[in-house]
Amino acid sequence: MLKIKNLKAGIEGTEILKGINLEINAGEIHAIMGPNGSGKSTLSAVIAGDENYEVDSGTVHLEGEDLLDLDPDQRAHKGVFLSFQYPVEIPGISVSNFMKAAINEKRKNLGMEPISAKELLDKMREKMDLLNMKKGYLSRNMNEGFSGGEKKRNEIFQMAMLEPKLSILDETDSGLDIDALKIVANGVNKLKNKENATIIITHYQRLLNYIVPDFVHVLHDGKIIKSGGKELALELEAKGYDWVIK
Amino acid sequence: MGLLNSIEKYCHENNVENEAISSFFKSGFPTTKNEEWKYTSLKKVVSEVYQINKEGAEITDEEIKKQSLNIGDKIVFINGFLHKKPNIKGVTIENNFFDNLSFEDPITALNSGLAEHGFKISIDKNVVVESPIEILFLNKYNSNSFVQFRNKIILNENAQVKIVENIQNLSENLCFINNVTEISLSKNSNLELNKLQNYSSSQNTIDTTNVNQQEQSASTINTMLFGGAFTRNNLNFFQNGQNCESNMNGIVILSNNELGDNHTYVDHKKENCESNELYKGIYLEKSKGVFNGKIMVRPDAQKINAFQANNNLLLSENSSINSKPQLEIYADDVKCSHGCTIGQLDEDALFYLRTRGISKEDASAILTFAFAAEAMDKISIEPLAKMVKNLMEDKLGVNLSI
Repeated sequence: MLKIKNLKAGIEGTEILKGINLEINAGEIHAIMGPNGSGKSTLSAVIAGDENYEVDSGTVHLEGEDLLDLDPDQRAHKGVFLSFQYPVEIPGISVSNFMKAAINEKRKNLGMEPISAKELLDKMREKMDLLNMKKGYLSRNMNEGFSGGEKKRNEIFQMAMLEPKLSILDETDSGLDIDALKIVANGVNKLKNKENATIIITHYQRLLNYIVPDFVHVLHDGKIIKSGGKELALELEAKGYDWVIK
Repeated sequence: MGLLNSIEKYCHENNVENEAISSFFKSGFPTTKNEEWKYTSLKKVVSEVYQINKEGAEITDEEIKKQSLNIGDKIVFINGFLHKKPNIKGVTIENNFFDNLSFEDPITALNSGLAEHGFKISIDKNVVVESPIEILFLNKYNSNSFVQFRNKIILNENAQVKIVENIQNLSENLCFINNVTEISLSKNSNLELNKLQNYSSSQNTIDTTNVNQQEQSASTINTMLFGGAFTRNNLNFFQNGQNCESNMNGIVILSNNELGDNHTYVDHKKENCESNELYKGIYLEKSKGVFNGKIMVRPDAQKINAFQANNNLLLSENSSINSKPQLEIYADDVKCSHGCTIGQLDEDALFYLRTRGISKEDASAILTFAFAAEAMDKISIEPLAKMVKNLMEDKLGVNLSI
């Protein structure tokens, strides 16, 4: 589904990704782990289309289509979703109005009619149940005054609503207490199917107790230096990163 | 040449002679040399040829209904003449043949000298008017016209009312309106006045509102300026008693070559009072904005809370805003804060929306709407808030309603 070949990218002239190669098939969950500053968040930003980053060389294909020439919104229409490490607060726009705008842009792109109010509400309620969202959530302003846990749940809620092919969860576990972590992980697990794929970007192994990856990759200094199965995450947790880096 | 000539000619032909008009003739229209008009040039507006018009017009009930917000009782004026008024218990509505010729600046002096029409609303003591009152000024002149209205809103002790002011020019001919409203709030009264200024491109407006407050009174003036070739608002609060509260909120969304100037002034004269001011401006295309917010705290006015914010978005390289907060504080135990921001949309927020599949254009419109929405929260008349929201969506090209 996703093929990244020799991807080199950076910001303001500093190279951060120094040749990433990664292949992800439908139905798989990949964890990308690594110490701070290894390039994890840069990788997710580049896949999602953050224009602050410059791509120097390499390719990123989603189902055979080159993503790098597309705008962030076009990438979303192709099925890319980024769950932000720091979701942006947007006072003045309710969750439901935001969701309506996002869903309808996607439908417009697919040549579909705008979603009906009832259909939208039903779908939002269903996804709210999945994530144990409190009543009144839909009329709150996007991320405004949300706790860390609420913000992350709001990201997964949007993911559930938009049904992407490729989801990238950037440090989704940071700022979550154990209960919120379980709810978020449960949501992600339920949304998983044979047609979609997930990249989990994380510093710690903790989240991987609840969302079990098929593959684990270690990112260091802009390169994937080791790949393995789920047991690699446990090994990293026990021994730290030093033994793979040297 | 221009308007000044028309006024002179009119006064000569109609034997208009009074102290106010003499004062106006002495100074003439203010120029940009006047500090209060530094960024707002009247030059083009007053160089047009206008008639000082007294003619009436026929406007059908159907048209009135179309122009009205239809949110409660309404008072209808056509070309300044009182056309229709409701009967509300405890509320007296009449044509304002005013006797008060007070004037401090040339524009008010001109209004004092020439105005013959307007409304006077008095709310009796202890009366709480439940349903909002709409004041609809419809103007339809056969030629370019310069018109004056002089209005009065009087709330007696413990009275409460919500008013919406809606002025529309129904003709293609240029209409220059000089509107002055004097508000008097007695002890413990409460007024919410909403000024819906969705003016047509053939309207020039100078709107002056003076709010005189007695102890424990509260006023909220919401100004929604969404259109009009030239609009200057002067909003002045005078707190003459203790424990007064003055709130002013503004949303300005302008485009084309429109100019919108909001001058506000709060005179804190007594102790334990409060003022809150939030103006949000969005300037598109070649539009131009001016904000001048002055807060005066007199020596006797201890324990004052005065808050002021003016936030602006410039959404085109050709739009501009001049924003000037002015604080004059002569008391020592006060809390005053002011802030002014001028900027573009937040790049991080734009990216966030775009990763959700929302196009750059729509993401900008949504964030712009969100930016202004905060100032809209203060409109307590629900159908009006909904209408304002729809107007904003229209102006910004978004559709967010569910």
